Amino acid sequence: MIEVDGLTRLYRRGTLETQVLKGVSFRVRRGEFVVIMGRSGSGKSTLLNILGLLDRPDGGRYLLDGADLSGADDDARSAARNRKLGFVFQQFHLLERASALRNVTLPLLYAEQDSGDSTERAERALQAVGLTHRPRHLPSELSGGEQQRVAIARALINDPAVILADEPTGNLDAQNGREILEIFRHLVDGGRTLVLVTHDRAVAERGDRVLVLDDGRIVGEEAVPTPAAGTRSDAAGAV
Amino acid sequence: MNRSQRIARDVLVSLSAQRSRVLLMMLGLTVGVAVLSAVIVIGQGTRERIMGLVEKHGLDMVMVRAGGDVQIFAPQSDRGLASLVEADARAVEAEVPYVDLVSAVQNQRGISVVYEDRSVITRAFGVEPTWLAIRHRDVAEGEFLSESDMAAMARVAVLGVKVTRALFPEGGAVGRTVRVNNDPYTVKGVFIELGTDAAGVDDWDDRIVVPLTTSARRLFNRPYLEQIVFRVTDVRRVPETAERVRNLLAVRHGIGPGQPADFFVREPEDVEGAALETTSTLSALLLAISVVALVVGGLVIMNLMLASVSQRSREIGLRRSMGARASDISRQFLLEALFVALAGGAVGVAAGTVIAAALGAAGIASSRITWVPFAVALVACAAIGVVFGIHPARNAARVDPAASLRGRAA
Ligand SMILES: Nc1ncnc2c1ncn2[C@@H]1O[C@H](COP(=O)(O)OP(=O)(O)OP(=O)(O)O)[C@@H](O)[C@H]1O
Ligand SMILES: [Mg+2]
Repeated sequence: MIEVDGLTRLYRRGTLETQVLKGVSFRVRRGEFVVIMGRSGSGKSTLLNILGLLDRPDGGRYLLDGADLSGADDDARSAARNRKLGFVFQQFHLLERASALRNVTLPLLYAEQDSGDSTERAERALQAVGLTHRPRHLPSELSGGEQQRVAIARALINDPAVILADEPTGNLDAQNGREILEIFRHLVDGGRTLVLVTHDRAVAERGDRVLVLDDGRIVGEEAVPTPAAGTRSDAAGAV
Repeated sequence: MNRSQRIARDVLVSLSAQRSRVLLMMLGLTVGVAVLSAVIVIGQGTRERIMGLVEKHGLDMVMVRAGGDVQIFAPQSDRGLASLVEADARAVEAEVPYVDLVSAVQNQRGISVVYEDRSVITRAFGVEPTWLAIRHRDVAEGEFLSESDMAAMARVAVLGVKVTRALFPEGGAVGRTVRVNNDPYTVKGVFIELGTDAAGVDDWDDRIVVPLTTSARRLFNRPYLEQIVFRVTDVRRVPETAERVRNLLAVRHGIGPGQPADFFVREPEDVEGAALETTSTLSALLLAISVVALVVGGLVIMNLMLASVSQRSREIGLRRSMGARASDISRQFLLEALFVALAGGAVGVAAGTVIAAALGAAGIASSRITWVPFAVALVACAAIGVVFGIHPARNAARVDPAASLRGRAA
């Protein structure tokens, strides 16, 4: 689903140059839950932005679903973001003045085709993340956990193959963090591909595979040990 | 709904959720449009009132009379002054600017008009076809005199209402033949009722009008004129036009400076011309003010939109992550500026027309509400929205999505 090969990214401001990515290569298969770990400033968000077609690498190759969009124009990349990708952020990034329901429908605005009853689709997406009450509430009237569920529903509404999540549990307490991870597990079990960035070991253990990023390179790759799988199914049973 | 329509609707939904911001943004433009539409409504009302006065009092007509300065007093009997000729009329027509219609006029009292066993003694006028428009007259039945009547020296007449009533109490005058000083004339038309002049001396309804050629060659059988009347294209030009005619005729009649003239140029009082002058100065001033206000209003919108682009960079990044193209973002911000400008214009044009109508109702100004201020406001605000919205929209499209989503604050 995702193939990167020798990705580099250099930030330049005046004479100050920061080589953030120095040749990153890895693959993510369809339906896989991959965690990217690394200390702060190691370039995780930079990498995720490139995977999300929000940023372009300076070098290397990136194939999303077999297509190389690094040279494509803004329209083509935007269309791919709309159809194939869903984003979940640490800060939720909901529109403050819009209800939960309207926040969830926003990606439908930019779809090529009209999607019929957008409210009905949004309600279904909210159902999928377990948030059926309070569809008319504003983000400020929702708890952090509820806000992140709204954000996940928004990421899901166009039925994307890949979900990209940057520290999705970073602003949540432990209980809410666990619940959000349960939702992600369900999505992966349903066939979606998930790339999740975190520096939290406990979160990383919920993935299928962990890539460790350090100093602009992947320095380690580990399959998550079996005990985590046990915890996983326990938690899944509890939901 | 297609993509653009969905984006437009989304902008409307967003704006309706932040009405106080919209009000703040559109305020300057609203003031500008209000002043502009009030100026238009009052301008049109004033124009209409003055046109009405011109119609009613013939303020755009100048009359040259035969005879000297003593003629300030209306003549009670026709004098045989042989000073004005048709060539004078043609010279005025050809040489004096702002003169658009000219008619030479002859008239004579004591003309007998007979139909069967009824008869009247009245005053006859010999005029050119242009006379009807110059004097702001109209026919109620039939037609006025034509160029071919002139060319044929036709024995045709248009009758005043009193003459018509005296000769045709049962109506049906048009097409009948009457005898004018014993010659047969066909009744071509009947004037609308006019009443007497302001002094109550001249009865406009007690007369008949025939072609100038007919009166000169047949009825009166003389070449000289009693009057030349002409219309001035612009009421404000009446005094200078009258002066030019005075000078022209003085030259033509060989009258030196200080010598008494053998003609008299009578112009209407200039009161309304002066009124029109002040009104147009005032409205030019207000127009300038409203244009300044419109530009300031546009700048206010632009600056608040620019501020909003940087405040909402996170929203822009978020929308880009959801698949918005750079062009979708610029369209969103352009539409936002456009809708705000149009809302400002709508409120402004409503306020301006209401204020102008209230001034009109209070008798302070003349007002006339037409579609013009609405069309002007629509076009002006659409243009302002686009012109002042383009820069913020471009900036919004250029926001780097990756950088804008980095921030920590929620
Ligand atoms: N626009 C930019 N210009 C210059 N340097 C940048 C820019 N964006 C990021 N960087 C630098 O690149 C490095 C990697 O940043 P990035 O946000 O990818 O790290 P991260 O791994 O996500 O860190 P964290 O865990 O704190 O979120 C940092 O040193 C950062 O200062
Ligand atoms: Mg980061």
